[in-house]
Amino acid sequence: MSKKESAWTRFAAWVNGEHEPAESRLFSMGMGPRKERRPEITLPKREEKQRLHGFLSWYPVASAVIGVILVGILLATVLAMPSFGQVENPTNNEVPAHYLQHTREETGASNAVAGMILNYRGFDTFGESCVLFLAVSCVFILLLRDENNTSQKDLEQAQRREQRRKRRQDVILQEAARLLSPFILLFGAYMLLGGHHSPGGGFSGGAVLGGALILYASAFGQDAIRRFFNEKVYNTVRVIGLMLYAVLFGYYIFTGANGLENHIPLDYGGLILPIDIAVGLVVACTMYGFYAMFTRGEL
Amino acid sequence: MDLIQRILENRFSVTAVILFGIGFANLMLQYNLVKKVVGFNIMDSAVFLLLASQGYIEGAMPPIVAEGAVEATAYINPIPSGLVLTGIVVSVSVSAFSLALIQRIYHKYGTVDLRELVMRTEKEED
Amino acid sequence: MTLLEDILLLGLIVTAVAAPLCKRLMATVIVYMSFGLLMAVLWVLLESPDLAVTEAAVGVGVTTILFFLTLRRIHELKGTKDE
Repeated sequence: MSKKESAWTRFAAWVNGEHEPAESRLFSMGMGPRKERRPEITLPKREEKQRLHGFLSWYPVASAVIGVILVGILLATVLAMPSFGQVENPTNNEVPAHYLQHTREETGASNAVAGMILNYRGFDTFGESCVLFLAVSCVFILLLRDENNTSQKDLEQAQRREQRRKRRQDVILQEAARLLSPFILLFGAYMLLGGHHSPGGGFSGGAVLGGALILYASAFGQDAIRRFFNEKVYNTVRVIGLMLYAVLFGYYIFTGANGLENHIPLDYGGLILPIDIAVGLVVACTMYGFYAMFTRGEL
Repeated sequence: MDLIQRILENRFSVTAVILFGIGFANLMLQYNLVKKVVGFNIMDSAVFLLLASQGYIEGAMPPIVAEGAVEATAYINPIPSGLVLTGIVVSVSVSAFSLALIQRIYHKYGTVDLRELVMRTEKEED
Repeated sequence: MTLLEDILLLGLIVTAVAAPLCKRLMATVIVYMSFGLLMAVLWVLLESPDLAVTEAAVGVGVTTILFFLTLRRIHELKGTKDE
């Protein structure tokens, strides 16, 4: 045990770059001479500048011309399309008819939109949840505050703003938030859980849940919300939502797309309800993450 | 007369194209970066309007089906609604990402106007 | 019903033209918010309640909050100029 532990500590030290195991020199991780991070720009500056100015002078004209041509083409296309709201339009073919006629027994959702996006076309929505996950990660990269991108001045400014906020608390906002946020949370949960039989579902319910969190955070400060929703919980919920979706939909496809009717009766939404919950968690975390990054740069 | 008739028949699609043109012009011709993002969002909404108006059927109900045998033409087409539903949420995340980029640009250069931005980068290079 | 639809479509065009023409960015964002609200009412008239709910919560609510927070960060709102 002790030998293994020492091997582990040596491995950890090697990963950290402190120590190199001499006896097993399969490859060495030496440090070469450090290269310049940013190579010097050797473009001829005057030409570059002239090119930029030339671009800025003809670019509005060109974009106006392109816009006019584009709108003209689109208008001609639109006027040649079949007229609005007729039953015999080519978009109303056998695919939506199948969705509408079989959504109850095949997916367990009487809301055909929810049945379509979460069951018939679940991969599409999975990709979209990944887009949301990536978007909030990119906003984290851009706006998260750490030692590298904050100066002392920024820190002082943030502290001063926080103190000012504490001194001048907004009574109307606080009372309204205290009164309204439980009801908004309840409404969001209702929309999230009832999305298979009524309008709502993962996207709108999750957004309403995120909105309730935003209202609470803007009224009482992020310290209040950090008591139950700190960075660790946030990341856990976000990842669990996406993983739950992946596992459930993978199981659904693996068992031949037969739904989960053996375990969850179709009356209660079948597969739709758990996937709705997963999407709702991802969307709520995304919305609150945007807010937290945009206000203070930390969760 | 025939043209006006066709415009009135397709009024949703024509409005969507006009909105698309307005949004495109703003995205291209405004010098303020925040207004560029607003123009981009207007373009998004125009595309959603065009898509959703294709699925509408005159006098039909929302696509929440009743029990029993279902007449498919009694409900609107659910496919454009599903596409737009995912599109709305993605458009929000795109605008959040571009607003985050704008904040970083302001942090570095102290302006969000494109012409001033070009001037300040040139000054920095000199 | 058709009249209401026509009024809403005209309102969409008017707000879309007016939003970027405002001088102050705050006014731009507020007019854009009314554009989203008109859009949400239009979704109800197009018989898509899912879209109306999502547009009202996400398109109008969260987007506007993000715009306002950005305006505060880039010192465009009143009272955030000198910090």
